[in-house]
Amino acid sequence: MASDTSEAGTSAADLKLQFAPFSSALEAGFWHQLTQKKLNDYRLDESPKCIRGYYYNGDPVGLPTRLTLEFSAFDVDGPTPARCCPAIGTLYNTNTLDAFKTIDKKSLLEKEAKEIWDAIQSGAALKDQSILSRFILLTFADLKKYHFYYWFCFPALCFSEGIKIVQQPSVLEQVFSAKQIAALQEIYDGLCSKRETTAIPYFLLKYTDDTVQMAPLEDWDTFLTDTKKVTVGVYDPCTLSQHPGWPLRNLLVLLAYRWGSKVDTVEVLCFRDRTLQGSRSIQHSVVFQVKLPELSVNSACPKSVGWEKNPKGAMGPRMVNLSECMDPKRLAESSVDLNLKLMRWRLVPSLDLDKVVSTKCLLLGAGTLGCNVARTLMGWGVRHITFVDNAKISYSNPVRQPLYEFEDCLGGGKSKAMAAVDRLSKIFPGVNAEGHNMSIPMPGHPVNFSQATLSQAQRDVEQLEKLISEHDVVFLLMDTRESRWLPTVIAASKRKLVVNAALGFDTFVVMRHGLKKPSVSQTVSAAADSSPSCSSASSSSSTPASAETSVPGSSLFSNIPGHKLGCYFCNDVVAPGDSTRDRTLDQQCTVSRPGLAMIAGALAVEMMVSILQHTEGGYAVASSSDDRMNEPPTSLGLVPHQIRGFLSRFDNVLPASLAFDKCTACSPIVLDHYEREGFQFLSKVFNSSHSFLEDLTGLTLLHQETQAAEIWDMSDDESI
Amino acid sequence: MSLCLLDEENFHQCCQLLLQQSDELRDGWSWEPIQGTEEGYLRKTALRSVIIDASIKWDQEVSRSDSETHTSCDSGPDQQKQCALAAPSDADIIAGDIDENDEDDGVCAVSAGSSQVLQYEYHIVYSCSYSSPVLYFRACTLEGRSLSLEEVWSSVHPNFRLQLQHSPLNTITQQEHPLLGQPFFMLHPCRTEEFMRPVLQAAQDQHRTVNYILTWLSVVGPLVGLDIPLQYSVQLHHAAPSQTDTPDALLHSLSS
Repeated sequence: MASDTSEAGTSAADLKLQFAPFSSALEAGFWHQLTQKKLNDYRLDESPKCIRGYYYNGDPVGLPTRLTLEFSAFDVDGPTPARCCPAIGTLYNTNTLDAFKTIDKKSLLEKEAKEIWDAIQSGAALKDQSILSRFILLTFADLKKYHFYYWFCFPALCFSEGIKIVQQPSVLEQVFSAKQIAALQEIYDGLCSKRETTAIPYFLLKYTDDTVQMAPLEDWDTFLTDTKKVTVGVYDPCTLSQHPGWPLRNLLVLLAYRWGSKVDTVEVLCFRDRTLQGSRSIQHSVVFQVKLPELSVNSACPKSVGWEKNPKGAMGPRMVNLSECMDPKRLAESSVDLNLKLMRWRLVPSLDLDKVVSTKCLLLGAGTLGCNVARTLMGWGVRHITFVDNAKISYSNPVRQPLYEFEDCLGGGKSKAMAAVDRLSKIFPGVNAEGHNMSIPMPGHPVNFSQATLSQAQRDVEQLEKLISEHDVVFLLMDTRESRWLPTVIAASKRKLVVNAALGFDTFVVMRHGLKKPSVSQTVSAAADSSPSCSSASSSSSTPASAETSVPGSSLFSNIPGHKLGCYFCNDVVAPGDSTRDRTLDQQCTVSRPGLAMIAGALAVEMMVSILQHTEGGYAVASSSDDRMNEPPTSLGLVPHQIRGFLSRFDNVLPASLAFDKCTACSPIVLDHYEREGFQFLSKVFNSSHSFLEDLTGLTLLHQETQAAEIWDMSDDESI
Repeated sequence: MSLCLLDEENFHQCCQLLLQQSDELRDGWSWEPIQGTEEGYLRKTALRSVIIDASIKWDQEVSRSDSETHTSCDSGPDQQKQCALAAPSDADIIAGDIDENDEDDGVCAVSAGSSQVLQYEYHIVYSCSYSSPVLYFRACTLEGRSLSLEEVWSSVHPNFRLQLQHSPLNTITQQEHPLLGQPFFMLHPCRTEEFMRPVLQAAQDQHRTVNYILTWLSVVGPLVGLDIPLQYSVQLHHAAPSQTDTPDALLHSLSS
C-alpha cells in the first residue's frame, strides 16, 4: 500500500506543480524584542498579536526560501527593507509550555485559512494582496531559562486534485529574448516607482516579441481583454529552478476562484531579481504554464496546510536556547572573563588566566582583610572562594568591611561567613562561594574544660584540615596572631600555599609562607603505604631539611628558594599564646588606619597571582627590594617573600627570610609531632602555656643561651 | 594630521559616496543615524551559507562549555545530541493534532545540505581614537541565536584564520558597539593605518582619488565574509577623470 502511493507520487510529480515552502528566519533582535514585549506589554495577555515579516526574491542559489522576522517585527506599520515584500502574521504567545503544547494547531490553521478564503471571496485579497502571504507564529518564551519554543505556519489553500503542469518550468532567458528581458525589467521598475514601492508581490503581464506590458493584479478585467493567454507574475523568493515559492500558492486559488471559469491555462512568471557583484539580473526567473483548476463559486473553504517542519524534517516545533546571549548571569560571567582577557590582549600576552581563575581560595577570616581579599579575588575572576569565620557582624563593621551593610548588623548580627557568601553571589552570581561559621582552636586557649569542648575542638580541627586539603591557596586574614598557628601547621604539612596578611596601626605585612618540599613520607607513602618503616622515613626526611637550613650564610637574604622561606612565626622567638598583651606592631589587632586593610588585602591577592604566574609557583625564589631593577621572573613582575608596608612613610620594602629551624609552627619537629600524633599533639598545644612549644622546638634553650650572651656582652662592656 | 588618517568629516563624505554607489549597485548599504546626535553608521545585512569546519575550535568549544547552550541542529554531533534530548519529546506531543498523513503533495523536497545559513549584520563606525573606520559585525543562526566568538572564528576561512591569529593586534574581538551599546564583534583598527599607508601613498603618486572607506573595506571585509563588488572601483575609475576638480571633501584626498 505504502509503496503504491509513493510510486503514484513520483509519476504524478511530473505533472503536478510543487512549491518550495518558506523556512522561518529569525534575527536575534526578534527574541530580545519579544522578551521586552512579554515583560512590559503582553505580560499574561495571550490574545493574538499582529506582527510583520518580509521575504526577498534576490537570494543567490543555494539559500533557503525564507520569511524573515527582525526586531522590528512588532512594529506592524514600520518600513519593509528595500526590494522586499512584507508579510503580515499573527503571533500567539502562550504563557506556559503546556498551553503551547495543547493549543489546537489545526484549528489555528483553519481559522487563518478561512480568513484568507473569505478575503478571496469578498475581493479584499485583490485589494490587499499581502493577505495571500499571511503567517502564524506560535511561541512560548521561557524567560527563566531563556528557552524560546516556536512554530511557524504559512497557511496555503489546496486544490484537492493538485495543479497540473502544462508546460515545464524553464529559465526566463530561454523563453524571452534579451530585448524582452530588458523591457520587462524596465517596466517592472516603472510600475514600482509609480506605486512608490520597491517590490510588487503580484502583477499581470502581456508581451509580444517587441513589447512588454505590465499591470497590477487588480486591473485584471481592464488589462486582460484576451483570456486565451494569461500571464501572471509573482515576486518569487525561491531559488530552485524547477519550483516556485510559497506566495504563488494562494494566488492560484484566488485566480481559480475569480477567473477559473473563463481561463483554462495560466502562464506564471516567477520573478526573481538579484544583484551579484554589482550587476543585476532577472534572466534566471522561471516561467511555466499550469492548468487552472476549477473552483465553484459556492465551494466551501478548501483544505489548508502550512505548519513548518522542524530541522529533523518532522512536524514539530523548534526550540532555541539563548541563555548564552540573554541570561544576565551568563552575560556577567562572559564579560568578567572578557575584561580579564583584555589584559592579555596587549599588556601581558603571556598571562595564564586559567591558572588564576581556577584557583580555589580558602579565606580564614571574613573581616576587613577577608572582605577586601574576596573583592580583589573576584576582580581576578576567581570563582571558588570559601570563608571561615566565627564572628557576627557588628555595628562598627560595615564601614570598613565592604561586604556588609547596616541591615546585616540588626538582630544580633548575621554570621560573617554566611553574609559574605550571600553578598558575593549578589555581586557576581557566577561565583562559587561557601561559608563556614566555625572557630579555629588556638595555642594558649584551652579546649579541655569539658568533654564537649574537647570534641568540638577536635571536630573543628578535622573540618579545618578538610578545608585546607580541598583548596589550593590558604589566606590567613584573622585578627589575632595565635589563630594563625593551627592553619600554618596544617597547610605546611599539606604543602599548601599560604598567603598571610597582618595589620598594625599604620604598618602591615603581606607574606607567603615557605612551601616545604614534598616530604619523603609523602612521596614514598604512596608506594609503601603500609610499610612499618614509615615513621623512620619521615624522621630521616627531617634531617636533611634541618641540615639545609643551617647551611646558608652568605646568601642569607638573597636568592632564597621558595622551599627555604620562613613562615609568619619563623621570625619570632616566642611561641604564640594568649595575646591580650601588646606585642610588636603587626601583632596588634583592629586598631589600624582604615586604608591599610584595603592595601594589604589587595597586595595579598596580587602576590598570590604573581606566585601562580611563576613557573615554579610556591617554590619560586624570593624577589627582594634589590631585584626591583632586574629582569622580573614573571610576566607580572616580582615574586617577593614579604611585603612590609609603612603607611606613615608611604613606603614598602620586600624583605626575605629563611625558615627558622626552631620555628614554633613550621619547624620539622613541630610538623613531625603533628603528623605523628595529630589531635593529641594539638590539644597539648592548645591547653598548655607557650613554654610547651618553646621547649619542644628548643627556643627555651635559645633564650637561655641568649641571656648568657647578653651577660657576657655586659661584662665585656664593663671591662672597657 | 598624518596623511593616512581619516577625520570625521571625511569619514561622513566617504560614507555618502559609498552609499551613492551602493544604491546604484543595489549592494544594500544604508546609513543609520543615532537619534538626537549627528552620529551614525553604515549598515548592511547579508546571508552566508557557511560550511562548518568541524575539525577546529567550534566543536571543542561547544563540548567544553555548557552543552545546553547550543541548539542549532545541523552543526556537529554535540548539537544533534542536544536536540535529541530537548525538542523531540515536545515535538511528539505537539504534533499529535496535526494530520501528517493528510499529506501535502504540493511541497517539493528541500535538502538542508551540510552547510549552515548565517545572518550577518555589518556596521562601519568611525573611531575617534584611531582616526579610522572600524568594522563591527554580529551573526546569528536562522533561529536567532547569536554566534559566540569561537563560532565566529570557526566561520572565518582557514587561510584568513591563520593569518589573523598570528597577528594578535589585527584580529577579531568582542566589544561593545560604541553607538548601540550592544555586544558586537570587531576587527581591531590598530593596523589600519599601517596597511592603508602604501595604498594612499601610491594613489597620491599617481594623482588618483581614493575613497578611503572603500579601499579599507576591500581589505578588511573579506576576512569576515563581506565581499565588496569590484564594480565599486570600476565605477570610481570611470568617474575619476571628471572628478579631478572635486573638492577634497568628496573623495579622501591626500593633500589635505
